[in-house]
Amino acid sequence: MTDLRLVTTTGSASSLDADPVGGSSPEGSRTPEPGRPGRAARARRRWARPRGSTLALLPFLAFVGVFLLWPTLTVVVQSVTPDGAVGTQALMRAISGPYRSAFQNSLTLAAATAVLGGVLGLLLALAVRGMSRPAWLRPALDAWCSVASQLGGVPLAFAFVAALGTQGALTKLLAAVGIDLVGSGFSLSTLTGLTVVYLYFQVPLMFLVVMPAVTGLRESWREAATLMGAGPVRYWRTVAAPILLPSTLGGMLLLFINAFSAYATAWVLNSSGQLVPLQIRFVLQGNVITGEQDLGYALVTWTVALLLASLGLMSLLQRRAARWSRG
Amino acid sequence: MALGLFFVVPQLAMARFAFQNVPVALLDRGRLLEGWSLDRLGQALGEPALWEATRTSVVLAVLAIALNLALLLPLAVLAEIRAPHLRPVLTAITLLPWVIPPIALVVGVAATFRAVAPWFLASPLSLVPFYALWAMPFTYRALDAGLRSIHARTLVEAARSLGASWPTVLLRVLAPNLSASVVAACGLTAAAVLGEFAFASLLLKETLPTYLVNYQRSAPQAGMALALAVMVLTALALGAVVQLLRRRGLGVSTTGI
Repeated sequence: MTDLRLVTTTGSASSLDADPVGGSSPEGSRTPEPGRPGRAARARRRWARPRGSTLALLPFLAFVGVFLLWPTLTVVVQSVTPDGAVGTQALMRAISGPYRSAFQNSLTLAAATAVLGGVLGLLLALAVRGMSRPAWLRPALDAWCSVASQLGGVPLAFAFVAALGTQGALTKLLAAVGIDLVGSGFSLSTLTGLTVVYLYFQVPLMFLVVMPAVTGLRESWREAATLMGAGPVRYWRTVAAPILLPSTLGGMLLLFINAFSAYATAWVLNSSGQLVPLQIRFVLQGNVITGEQDLGYALVTWTVALLLASLGLMSLLQRRAARWSRG
Repeated sequence: MALGLFFVVPQLAMARFAFQNVPVALLDRGRLLEGWSLDRLGQALGEPALWEATRTSVVLAVLAIALNLALLLPLAVLAEIRAPHLRPVLTAITLLPWVIPPIALVVGVAATFRAVAPWFLASPLSLVPFYALWAMPFTYRALDAGLRSIHARTLVEAARSLGASWPTVLLRVLAPNLSASVVAACGLTAAAVLGEFAFASLLLKETLPTYLVNYQRSAPQAGMALALAVMVLTALALGAVVQLLRRRGLGVSTTGI
């Protein structure tokens, strides 16, 4: 009996070594056998290692579970069971009527800033790659981008109000040289205005994300391509572009996520705007009627689903991009 | 060049609005140098409510950093030296805050905690776990990069084979080598916490960003001066962190991906 137990314990030990996450050994084998404490203890120690490391994950998982997953899952479950029964009314309502335009606006804003910011960030990275001349340029730009990509939020919105608001200094300056911003319908609270503001943190973020891929483009590849008779166009089309494509698209998806979920900047510039994050706030704050609450939950569910899909796609692209990247 | 202008002009305009006491409508070439003073900043700094909000924000930042490090540092070390199979799990989990932005989570928090534990949301300190969550992508990546770059596994094996005990290994081998990435993690967490607006505003907590918005409404110029000061300080702190990482040769991504 004792021997049998020990065999199963060691058996599970080897299987745990191979796949340590599935720590599902019988609880009873943890207590040492009174007859042969030495062997039992040794066997226990052998599988205590990987199991211990998995156990160490538990407090962390509990933390994430309680503060992140529990609230989110509650909302998702509520949104598919409005009024206590499974149904899609709330989910459908959240993408119809005024909320449909909120989603359209948010998607347009996120996509526009992702594409524009992506292209500008990529161009910036490509432009900097060739320049080694002022030795301070690269590190300074890296540092500045790290800072600027984190600068979103309330102060940034204020800064743009001071520059491009109706009473902004830049607005005045442009008016002096004959460009009438206000008259042309430009305002920071419109989608165009928000796009301009968002680009302030999107471009640096893109720069940081694609820079490893851009530095990964080796000079010898271009030389090899030239030796084989490829012109610059052919080189960019068949060598550089395929290598840069995954990280560029991945970066743009990151920008998309970033812009879609940005809240503070949009709220300061246009607190009653037709954007999904602002609508979520509106529903959450203004209404305590049960039906309206379900609507808010449905908005959140759509948002999370959308972001989750983008992030999944982005990780796939990043994995591809990692093959050629150099930090 | 044009891009460079785009990144500097907003701050310049902000400074002008805050520190030059001339309305835009009256501004022309001749008066460009008139009426500059730092009084507005002094006025903003004289508000006791500002210090109250700042104190809340700083306490939140410190606690979020402590919680984050307590949760992630042991796991990052463990994943590097003992259990590499934990790394993909950690990487995936620390990406989750990207998918669930503050504005989405706050709805869930209101739906769950308000019913189960209303006392929890009453205190401003209830923000700590959530702020720790959003800083996780940055913290974990900074720690992970630090551990990789010092070849922690080799260091630990060397120390162990020289007879060092586990506490000695942790305190005298790993801790000194990791200080740079821990400082970086702290800096990034602090920047994220000090700038977070959605959560604090929706749970009606007075932190620095929510105070800024309210104050700017009542005192536009002083509020602008204060926002500029906050922005410059954040930028300097982040810049110092990036500089530190560069000097140590750490390729830490500050993007949280």
